[in-house]
Amino acid sequence: MTVVLARVDDRLIHGQVTVGWSQQLHPDRIVLANNEVAADPWQSRVYAASVPPDIQVSVLSVAEAVAQLARDEAHQQRIILLTASPGEMAELVRLGAALAEVNIGGLHFSVGRKEMLPFVYVNKQDLAAMRRLLDQGIELFAQQVPGGKSFHLELDQLVDMERRL
Amino acid sequence: MIRALVLTHGSLGSELVKVVEMILGPVEGLDHGSNLGKSAADLGLEVKEWLAAGEEPAIILVDDYAGSCATCTQLALVDNPGHEDTAVICGVNLAMLLGFVTWRESSDYEELVRRIIQKGREAITQVGGS
Repeated sequence: MTVVLARVDDRLIHGQVTVGWSQQLHPDRIVLANNEVAADPWQSRVYAASVPPDIQVSVLSVAEAVAQLARDEAHQQRIILLTASPGEMAELVRLGAALAEVNIGGLHFSVGRKEMLPFVYVNKQDLAAMRRLLDQGIELFAQQVPGGKSFHLELDQLVDMERRL
Repeated sequence: MIRALVLTHGSLGSELVKVVEMILGPVEGLDHGSNLGKSAADLGLEVKEWLAAGEEPAIILVDDYAGSCATCTQLALVDNPGHEDTAVICGVNLAMLLGFVTWRESSDYEELVRRIIQKGREAITQVGGS
């Protein structure tokens, strides 16, 4: 298994992923890990239908995604792994997904979230999950699209942001 | 009168509607929205609110087939009584919107949807070069 991109993006599968990153990274499969979407056949179908036909797609719960990633280890697939929140990504790691770095691709404004970057709005839970990822030695970088500006996220930035919430 | 929402990335939708009005004059019931800065949840909510804001039959035109506007619109129609059969048309272009405004009073809903899609396809054509 090669996770070529582990991305936190609350829009999950959309153009930045299926066109932007996929044209750059040529994934064999997109794994969408989200308990709510996986439990809803209609949502699963809509997201899966958004993926170009040459890329396989799995819409799975977080626990199922961990198992799928372990299985794909044998298949040598290039995988883009998506979650809607840092919390789900941290949960994937807790359950055994081996990741070297995580891309924070898009967390849009919602009530209770404050701006860390123009495309990254966070709450305390998001920051706590990001800290758990850093604690595991996982690098965090915020970047929307390939070739776009990339922001390496360090612990002191997260601590500073926690104070501002 | 059938109304429409043009939901796109960035300001594409607002500019398309602006150009339609440059050509045809002020138009009612042709609205626009954008995914700019919005989460999937907020974008879906915006679609639901737009649908709820009018009594007339509605059509939603989005730009990219696989993008967040198309995805969120489809999800906003599920379990949304009275709106579940709303047509969502991808690949919006200027010809489609001009056709919508021109035909919406003379066509029934299904015919209008069919004509808009046909017009959009016909508008993509090569006129120069070899």
